[in-house]
Amino acid sequence: MGFLDALLQGFAVALTPTNLLLALFGCFAGTIIGALPGLGPVNGVAILIPLAFSLGLEPTSALIMLSCIYYGCMYGGRISSIMLNIPGDEPAIMTTLDGYPMAQAGKASEALGISAVASFAGATFATLGLTLFAPLLAKAAIHFGPADYFALYVLAFATIGGITSVNPFKTLLAAFLGLMVASVGLDPATGTPRYTFGSYHLYDGFDPIVAIVGLFAISEVLVYLERLNFSDARMVPLGRALPRLKDLLSGGWANLRGSVIGFVCGILPGAGASLGAFMSYIFEQRWSARDGKFGKGDPRGIAAPEAGNNAASGGALIPMLTLGVPGSGTTAVMLALLISLNIQPGPLLFDRQPDLVWGLIAALYIANIVLLVMNIPMIGLFTRMLAMPQWILMPFVVMVSFLGVYSISHSTFDLFVMVAFGVIGYILRLIGISLVPIILGLLLGADMENNLRRALSISNGDFTFLFQSPIAMGLYALTATMLTIALVLSFRRSGKAENA
Amino acid sequence: MTDRIVGALILALSIWYGITAGSYEASFGDPLGPAAFPIMLSIPAAVLSLALILRPDAEPKWPSFWPMMRQAAAIALLLAYAGFLEVVGFPLATFLAVTLLGRLLQTTWPKAAISGAVMSAVLFITFDYLLDLPLPLLPEFMS
Repeated sequence: MGFLDALLQGFAVALTPTNLLLALFGCFAGTIIGALPGLGPVNGVAILIPLAFSLGLEPTSALIMLSCIYYGCMYGGRISSIMLNIPGDEPAIMTTLDGYPMAQAGKASEALGISAVASFAGATFATLGLTLFAPLLAKAAIHFGPADYFALYVLAFATIGGITSVNPFKTLLAAFLGLMVASVGLDPATGTPRYTFGSYHLYDGFDPIVAIVGLFAISEVLVYLERLNFSDARMVPLGRALPRLKDLLSGGWANLRGSVIGFVCGILPGAGASLGAFMSYIFEQRWSARDGKFGKGDPRGIAAPEAGNNAASGGALIPMLTLGVPGSGTTAVMLALLISLNIQPGPLLFDRQPDLVWGLIAALYIANIVLLVMNIPMIGLFTRMLAMPQWILMPFVVMVSFLGVYSISHSTFDLFVMVAFGVIGYILRLIGISLVPIILGLLLGADMENNLRRALSISNGDFTFLFQSPIAMGLYALTATMLTIALVLSFRRSGKAENA
Repeated sequence: MTDRIVGALILALSIWYGITAGSYEASFGDPLGPAAFPIMLSIPAAVLSLALILRPDAEPKWPSFWPMMRQAAAIALLLAYAGFLEVVGFPLATFLAVTLLGRLLQTTWPKAAISGAVMSAVLFITFDYLLDLPLPLLPEFMS
């Protein structure tokens, strides 16, 4: 059993004082970031990446801290869903459906407890899955050649919007925009400057982290400024300080069902936690809602989506670590971090840097236990954070974004670029173009082009080489299937909208 | 209409992108060269932006006049902050930016000013001293 030794080795890495401290900090900060409305996991991880740089952390430590923030956000997102009926982040939307009614019925602390247990179940299930499946996938992925990688990227871009996106054309367009932005700078193979307008600032291209902070954090501030007049949410009282054990476990088997569904959704490229929560809730509703209690505060309606979104976020780490293709927005941001630290995720990561991979996995087990403890007895502390006024929070987010970006390059040019990306991000969000495919394009563009060029230099310019390997063909077949499903669903949806 | 305008802009961008790529020359030993991949991107991007023009979604809800003014003011403020950060130094620039942002977020002058003062001090100490990230302290003409 090689992986047990590896896991033990991982715990040795994760339990060093620095890493343990960073994990605790990550869990705490993550829960707060997830809980505050408007600061989701993508924003939270994006604005803290520069912090990881400025602390001069080892790649392993940086990754442990950010992954714990990521897990923490998934726990924290539910808090404002339940207390305010405002999801703290996108994956927590489904939790409002049963969580808020239960809280209104005076059982806020029970709802928070059930969802904490569900989050623990989902995240632990996913971490187990990560332990077992990631090494297997990494072993399989070693056989991927350049043509197969190119096919894999095509699959990732074609499916990033998943089957949930409203308009698949817009999602695809977003991916192409990201790829186009990625080609700015010196061409790595020949040194030709492309789209630089002669400015040396652009020779290195756009730093993905600057773009991410702009697209997500700055555009969020603009979104908030628009909605200013509508925010009069009332917090429900917490009720009992500590929920009873019987109540905590009342989610029952919904915890497990949600975990399985969420985990599968998380592994699929581009689907991520929102889909995990959505599918888990819908399935649970079909499975167990015969008594019509769903939507009125059914514990299973809280447990299923929370288990689902936590399991999905763990699952999304698998393609990110083993293939270098992230399964969600936040894992895309983490990929940006790894690339900036000169670590190329992919199948070789497991061989070359076992400490990083297994240290991370062990840290996630620890994080789950820490988060469960933080989120049941200490929940009162986090609900109090929700009362933080936006006129403090929003300027703080802006300033940390500016400082973070400035600390990477000490160039005011990057600050302007960040603001510009913020404005563009706001407009794209307004018309329903998803930002995640843009980030993915920006991150993977260079690699996609390199693999294409490598494949074609192997074949001396013969394009049919791209379709010769069985792996590539399988990936293209999968791409075609997923695209067809997405298009059919979108046409059916727009047909329904017209009939209604 | 918004979809159509954005679609037209992206279409123009893709065409320019593809044509510009054509001018990049291939070198030896690299059958594809620096031009091929951008050209491969520009074609589907152009087609997809056409789809946006021909089959737009329902009009999104643009912010009304005052919210949009607030956003414009915030963008101007952020650009000014980026431009003046090194000129007037971090503490002063941050104090002004946070105070004005606080005002845009509809709090009172005293509250906004206090949060500006506290935030600029705390962030300066955290980043400059604790994290060892040198930040400009004084305005340029004084240092």
